[in-house]
This record gives sequence, structure tokens and C-alpha cells, in this order.
Amino acid sequence: MELLIILVVVIGLAAFVAGIYNRLVRLRNAFKNAYAQIDVQLKRRHDLIPSLVESVRGYMKHERETLTAVIEARNQAESARQQASGSAGEAGAMAELSRAEGSLGGVLGRLFALSEAYPDLKASENFKSLQEELTSTENRVAYARQAYNDGAMNYNNAVQTVPSNLVAGMFGFRTATMLEFEDREAIQQVPEVSF
Amino acid sequence: MSRPASFNFAEHQRQARRQTALLVALFLLITLLIAAAVGGLAGVMLAVGPEAAEAGAQQPRPSGPLLERMDWQVAATAGALVLGVILLAAGIRGLMLGSDGANVARSLGGKEVTRDSTNPSHRRYFNVVEEMAIAANLPMPKVFVIKHEQGINAFAAGLRPETAAIGMTHGALATLDRDELTGVVAHEFAHIANGDMRLNLRLMAMIFGLVALYVAGRMAMRATMLRGNRDQREAMAGMAIGLALIVLGGLGILAGRLLQAGISRRREYLADATGAQFTRNPEALARALKKIGALQRREELGNPHGEEVRHMLFADGVSLNASGLTATHPPLVRRIQALDPAFDPETDPVWRMSQRDMMQQVRAGLAG
Repeated sequence: MELLIILVVVIGLAAFVAGIYNRLVRLRNAFKNAYAQIDVQLKRRHDLIPSLVESVRGYMKHERETLTAVIEARNQAESARQQASGSAGEAGAMAELSRAEGSLGGVLGRLFALSEAYPDLKASENFKSLQEELTSTENRVAYARQAYNDGAMNYNNAVQTVPSNLVAGMFGFRTATMLEFEDREAIQQVPEVSF
Repeated sequence: MSRPASFNFAEHQRQARRQTALLVALFLLITLLIAAAVGGLAGVMLAVGPEAAEAGAQQPRPSGPLLERMDWQVAATAGALVLGVILLAAGIRGLMLGSDGANVARSLGGKEVTRDSTNPSHRRYFNVVEEMAIAANLPMPKVFVIKHEQGINAFAAGLRPETAAIGMTHGALATLDRDELTGVVAHEFAHIANGDMRLNLRLMAMIFGLVALYVAGRMAMRATMLRGNRDQREAMAGMAIGLALIVLGGLGILAGRLLQAGISRRREYLADATGAQFTRNPEALARALKKIGALQRREELGNPHGEEVRHMLFADGVSLNASGLTATHPPLVRRIQALDPAFDPETDPVWRMSQRDMMQQVRAGLAG
């Protein structure tokens, strides 16, 4: 009899732990999946920038320095993206990505501000369409980031609250880092400059 | 993407959902009541007591309160029959209307916009839809534009997110700036996310079921009259049931239409609130609505399908005078005030703008 009771208790406990474990895995998959969407959009952003620089180069002869800075920031951001793409939610990768994307947003903002002084450039169809694509991509990154942060928050809530925090501790579920871009103001200025 | 604390989209959504549930329940209740009423009537009129059957039709029916004369079996059969007719007609109608969104969009005169469009305003429109698909976490719908339509309007069609389509008039693409366009597209995505096309299809199908009931009543009347009065009692019963079907069916259709319109109005508020959740930018959506208000004098979607599709338009496209109980959309001023409590039609600059000014502003924006 005692054996039976002990058995029931053990099985119940195991089922309880397994249920929580599965929920944690589901939540983790959800935010990682949301991160994949950010990754796609960041890649798109980085792919657009070389064509932007090429289309601008002919008009902005005196802004060589800015153009070089854009390309440099773009390359840094791209390598940060590649580093981060396998490690969504890890503090170091996320911090490096926000820093790189933030400074890319900053120099891009400067480029668009400078473009105001070149009417021929502003009238060029190619430039306008690149600007639209970049604006759209930036918005997509923002919406995808919103989804990722929501997912990461749900996951973190599960990792940090009782009783799932006990299970999370046992199996090494660590909290995910939210993704905020440092230079948000500059990034959000880009769409405004474009209109 | 400012985030004013003044617009509480979660609370607005909860309220609209609760009110929809109430109206849908009322609709179902009315249908059930109609079936019960017809069933009860049939039970009384067609009751053939054993003694009546033996003595022939001349025998006076047993007197007494109605319920005692009621033949419950006949009543239940008739009630079930009525419900069956309604549901069958509704089901057939639902299958007919339930084509995918792209077909609906084409029947409205929409032309599809694809990823590789070179027209800058179409390109921008397609991009905005892709952005909102990410924000709403829904599959990318097919994208349509209704050319030659100068008014500002938009629609979502299709019963499931996988087969959905979003359409926008040429006028909307020309007069709305990027943020306003995003607000309108978000509103249409909200209809897809909230399953409003499906809900409305079911309601329309149910109303069609009541129409079938009405038609059946007229057929019963006609059949009784044609057969002549061989049997007084049978003729009486036939006429009474036919009349009841006509009256109840007619009342049901009326009530159904009013409820459908009421539900549709609640879903518009819900879509405004859900759209604001997707963009976190209720002001831009409010601004788009203001522009519609400013143009409304000229705004009429000239299309013979108007009646069938008006519920899925962004703003009511059938008639300017549609207001009150039969309108599928709430008054614009009220929708704007829900999003922007400070709105005052007397002084608002956008509300008083002309279309030419809007288009100039947008063109200036597109040019840089």
C-alpha cells in the first residue's frame, strides 16, 4: 500500500515537471522563431545598403567619408547579425547586435539628412525606391522586434516565476535578453526624413 | 511610432467583443423562437385527436386552453423542420458565398499587385501590407488595388487568413501618406485576425435561411389556395401556417438585418482597436478616417455588388445617408473620437481638407 502511494506521488510529480518542461521548451521555441524573422529582415536591410551607397555615390561626391562610414557600419552590423543568428536571446550577442544596428541607424540617418542638399539625387527614381525599401525594412525590423520581445517576455516570465522557475533552474533554462536598439531615435528618423 | 497612453486598445477590444457576443446570441435566440413559434402553431392547427379522426372533420375540435389541444409530436416535428430549412438554406448560401478572397476582390474590379510591381505607390502599398503581416503575425494576403476609384476605401475578403485578400482604392493610395496607409491596412488585417468575414458570412447565410422560410410560407399559402377548400379545417391550417411563416420569416429577416448591422458596427470599432494594437499608432488611423470624412461628399463606391460587400469596406460605401440602425459602419466622427478623444470636427484641419490638398501633400512626401 505504502509503495503504491509513493509510486502515485512520484509519477504525479514527474508528470508535473514534464508539463512545465514542455511549456518552457515551447516558449523558448516561440521566441527563437520570432528572432528568425528579425534575422531575415536585418539581412534584407544589410543587403540593400551597398546598392544604396552605389546609387548615391555619383551624386554625393563630397561625402566620401560618410559613405565609407555607412559601409563600415553595415559590415559590422552584418557580422554581428551572423554571430547573433545562432544565439537568439543571449546577452552578449544581443548587446553587440543592438550596438551595431544602432550605429548603422545613426550613420544612415546622417546620410539621408545630407541627401536633402542634393535635389538631383532626391528626384532620382532609383534613390526613391531604395529609400522606400529601406523604410519598409526598418518598419519590419521594428514589428518583428516587437514580436520577439513579447515572446522573450513570456518566456522570461515562465523562467522567473514559481513553480516553473524551479524546473527552469534544474534544466538550465536561462532568461532571454530583449532586443532594444540603442540609437532608436536615429533609426526612427529615417522614415521621417524620407517624406 | 509614438505610444500615447490615452488609447487603451485592450479595453476597447474587450468591450467590442462582449457586445458582439450578445448580439450573436440574440440572433440565434430569434431563430430558435421563430422555429418554436411555427412548431407550436402547427401543433395546435394540425392536432388530430383520436375522436376527431374517427368522427371525421366535422366533429368540433376539443375545446380548452391552447396547450391542451397541442399535439406535441407535430409541434416538435414542425419546429425541427423549420430549423432544418433555415440551416439547410444557410448552409447552401454559405458554400456559395465562401469563395476565397482573391475572387471577391476581382469581382469588385480589383487588380492584383505583386512583389515586382514598379509603380512606386503600389510598391509602397505592397510593402506596407508585408509589414503589417509581420506585425499581425498572419500569412501574407493577396494584394489588390481598385483602379479608377477616387474615393478612399479599402476591404478585406476571404474566410480564412490563408485565403485572405486586401484591397485598396486608387484614391486611398493617392491621398493617404505612408502612416495613414499603414493604419488602414492594419484595420483590414484586424478584420482578418478577428474572423469578421467568417462571422458576417454566417450571419448573412442565416438571414438567407429566414428568407427561405418566408418563401416557403408564400408557397404554402399559394398551394392551399390553388387546391380549393375541399377541407375547411385543412385549408385553415394551411393558410394559418403559411401566414405565420411569412410574418415570422419577415420579422426574422428584419431583425436579422438590424442585428447584422449592429454586429458589423461593433466589429468596426474592434478592428480600429486591433489595428491600433498592430501599429501602436492610433493617430494615423484617425487621420485616415478624417480624410475620408473630408471627402465623403464625393465618396460612393459605384458597384452593383455594393449591398453584399458593404460590411467589409473600410468605410460605408453604399450610401451617405446610411446611418442609425441599418448602417454597417459607425459614424466616422464616433470612430475618430474613439481613437482620438480630442477630435473636434469644427476645428480639425485634416477633417476640413480638400482632396487636392491631400494629394499634393502626399506627392510632396513621395518626392522626398
